[in-house]
Amino acid sequence: MKAVILAAGEGKRLRPFTETMPKVMLPVANKPILEHVIDAVKNSGINEIIMVVGYKKEVIMDYFKDYKKIKITYVEQDKQLGTAHALLQAKKHVKNSFIVLAGDNFIDQNSISNLIKNDSEYSILIKEHPHPSKYGVVFIEKNNLKEIVEKPKEERGKFISTGIYKLPKTIFNKIEEITSQGTYALSSVAQSIINDGKQINTILADCWMDIVYPWDLIQVNESMIHNTTASVSGVIEKGVTIKGGVSIGKDTKIYSGCYIVGPVVVGEGCEIGPNTCIFPSTTIGDNSVIHPFSEIRNSVIMDNAHIGSSSFISNSIIARGSIIDNNFSSVPGSSTIEIDHEFKQLKNLGAMIGEDCTIGSHVVVDPGVIIGRKCNIAPIKRITKNISSGSKVM
Amino acid sequence: MCGIIGYNGFREADKVLIDCLKRLEYRGYDSAGIGVIGKKLKIFKEVGEISKLEKEIPTLDGDIGIGHTRWATHGSVTRENAHPHISQNKKIAVIHNGIIENFKELKEELEKKGIKFNSATDTEVITHLISNYYKGDLEDAVYSAIKKLKGSYAIAVVCEDEPEKLVGARNESPLIIGVGDNENFIASDIPALLRYTNRVIYLDDGEICVVSKNSVRVLDENKKEVNKKVNLIKWDFKDAEKSGFPHFMLKEIYDQPDSITQVLRGRASEINRTIEFNEKIENILSNGLDSIHIVACGTSYYSSLAGKYLIEKLTNIPVFVELASEYRYFGTRNEKSLIIGVTQSGETADTLAALKEARNSGCRTLVVTNTIGSTATRISDAYILSQSGPEICVAATKTFTSQILVLFLIALKIAMIKNTIGTDELYNYILQLKELPREIRQVLDQNNEILKVAKHLKNCRSVFFIGRGINYPLSLEGALKLKEISYIHAEGFAAGELKHGPFALLTKFTPVVAIVTNDSTYDKIIANIGEIKARGPQVIAIAEDNDTEIDKHADFILRFPSNLDLLSCIPITVILQLLAYHVANLRGCPIDKPRNLAKSVTVE
Repeated sequence: MKAVILAAGEGKRLRPFTETMPKVMLPVANKPILEHVIDAVKNSGINEIIMVVGYKKEVIMDYFKDYKKIKITYVEQDKQLGTAHALLQAKKHVKNSFIVLAGDNFIDQNSISNLIKNDSEYSILIKEHPHPSKYGVVFIEKNNLKEIVEKPKEERGKFISTGIYKLPKTIFNKIEEITSQGTYALSSVAQSIINDGKQINTILADCWMDIVYPWDLIQVNESMIHNTTASVSGVIEKGVTIKGGVSIGKDTKIYSGCYIVGPVVVGEGCEIGPNTCIFPSTTIGDNSVIHPFSEIRNSVIMDNAHIGSSSFISNSIIARGSIIDNNFSSVPGSSTIEIDHEFKQLKNLGAMIGEDCTIGSHVVVDPGVIIGRKCNIAPIKRITKNISSGSKVM
Repeated sequence: MCGIIGYNGFREADKVLIDCLKRLEYRGYDSAGIGVIGKKLKIFKEVGEISKLEKEIPTLDGDIGIGHTRWATHGSVTRENAHPHISQNKKIAVIHNGIIENFKELKEELEKKGIKFNSATDTEVITHLISNYYKGDLEDAVYSAIKKLKGSYAIAVVCEDEPEKLVGARNESPLIIGVGDNENFIASDIPALLRYTNRVIYLDDGEICVVSKNSVRVLDENKKEVNKKVNLIKWDFKDAEKSGFPHFMLKEIYDQPDSITQVLRGRASEINRTIEFNEKIENILSNGLDSIHIVACGTSYYSSLAGKYLIEKLTNIPVFVELASEYRYFGTRNEKSLIIGVTQSGETADTLAALKEARNSGCRTLVVTNTIGSTATRISDAYILSQSGPEICVAATKTFTSQILVLFLIALKIAMIKNTIGTDELYNYILQLKELPREIRQVLDQNNEILKVAKHLKNCRSVFFIGRGINYPLSLEGALKLKEISYIHAEGFAAGELKHGPFALLTKFTPVVAIVTNDSTYDKIIANIGEIKARGPQVIAIAEDNDTEIDKHADFILRFPSNLDLLSCIPITVILQLLAYHVANLRGCPIDKPRNLAKSVTVE
């Protein structure tokens, strides 16, 4: 069986982190989200993948060309019109029954295996969700899909569609019919199949996670590194304390006096310390440098980041290539944020800092503040509001 | 310069050979051919690129065979001259990379014996020699034949009577063995094989290998079996593909933030404030150096010129950069001098010869190369890998910047040892090194502005590049990039030299690219731009971010980040690369494979 993975989208709500890479390439546990998805697909026994790419396709293709001996065929979706339209691009590469899934949602290998094993011609993975109205809400009758409603206005139902289906080849005719009427979502196609009197079997997924907003990345990272097993390469100096599941990549140096409590994942070629503390659940990308006396907890630090001495970083994201001078502080706390025209109170938020920023010493960032890509912030500033990419704070 | 491949295994040999040849095409693409043994030995060859061969080739059954892509040295580009070359009884086929120096004498000898030659190549001599010596054992015949050969060769031979055996031999041309499961390969270069295996044995000069489906034997000059180490190659196959970019060149330009990180990995330590190399290299750099000679060819020569500037600036040791092809015959040797050979492939024939000369006369030799296990790494006292990953486009991009950085690291190391820079200055340089990837990303972000400027250059007949200090070698490199891929005449000049002759060539149709950095020569180069403008040409300035003065002088301005000091040479180079790329692309040139050029030049 082949799998079609949809990886063409940008992930606008994750800006500035998606300005230079598509959403599927954002790192979780130091691997792109898409790599986790491909691994699950591969481990469930599938060894041929059709990847629908579009936005920043080079980043994906560069990373995955012939990944771990899986055959990946790339097709391009020029305009991001919707999931059904994206799937249609894979038409000529699919000959039999296949599965389709999104490259930016985590899914476990068992759920995919269950989907493949299911006898029904059509089947779908569903998942219970506390806020179903943000997704396609599904209504079920005797393990079959009865109705699927995209983002209903009022809260109803409790199961949502994961967007992961097993489908027969004939689905492409249906998609062509539906898209010709100007609808491009896969859920509409599913609804139309039900209307035709066919049955779509529902299977409950074990583990499925979506990342919509930047802070989701921290939470998902936390659950993905939860089971990190201790493995240490690189150079660890005398006097370093390492507890719990801490993974340290090759060519990384941890200097004396560091205190690291897992789960923590540190990439390759980093330099950390001396006397730096890293607490759960933190991921640090390749070639990053963390200077002495800094404390980092529950954060995602990406590749080539540089954090000055005596800094405090909590519940934060620091994107690739950002350089932060000494005594930086992210104030942890709650913040009221406008999401989809609603105000929401979010707890435990730190700073969200985009790629290639330069931040002077003694800068303080308020909870939940998003700083765009390539921003330049002068020393001793307090940042209380979001800053768009390329800004200078003098 | 040619690419060779041999296969012995379980797959359809013709498909494997063509697939591998495509990955060797950068080594030559005048003509190509393959020979496969099924029931009989069958040969197919064609003039033109591999894709043409692939289209026209009939299916050749068999699971053992050889393939060749040619870059003509002896004899013009014709089907007859394409390899493989077969013996008169049509049973033995040979492919060859290199030059046989005594082929005229050998040919006369063979012709006296009544053998007719079908081609003008030196390779055909090898075929008939082997056939002549053949008494039922191919390895014996090859062994006897190569005793007669003078010159450089990597050959692969198959014989219809021994369809289980592939024989290879090497002398001064690259040849490796790829070890698979129930299949084995021989090839000129690693990328050819990466799809099938990452286990590789390097052959040494004078060695012969006998490759069957599940065994590999290597014999030395005296026919004694040699135990060879199997090396694991870290490059991924994915590295050798275009990844959605229209050309390898663009992909490789965009690789630079990563390739630069790789150069620094494990060498520049920010918290320890030190530059680290292995002990061997540190020893070579620490013992009383009087002077340094850098030998190189082509693009590597220009990166060496930039390296000269950096090393002299930081260490006060005089550095002489010499073209390898000149140095080997005319250079001075001094035992207190360090000879640094810079070669991307590690197989550049002239650079290898220069290194051997230097070593024989007692100099210490150090090699900067991108290719682990290459000949250069084995004939020198120590080597430093630039760790850039494979570079496929004939025009060097990421390996150029990596070479400069390796030389910069060498400069810093010597400066540390000799105490010519303070610890704080050293720390500043390390910080700048670490910042480089993002500075390059900033330049890559300007892709569209560079494209706009390229549109003004695409119809020019001639473009000049000028700069002072380290920007002079960059001007040379900028001009080289432009001429080699866009076929527009381009010259680089030291800005101060313009008045001493080249000025005569300036008209309003000859745009000038001026590299302007805010150093002690700033006023001088602004004055140069004024002199140029007075003669009518448009001036494209490559200038620092915060340089507002330049707006008054230049017609177009491309910006690079200002906070880099000595290392500004890296982002400037990236701008020059993108400029050349876009001009060539707008003109519709075959960017990755410019006419008449080959990636590494393994002939002298």
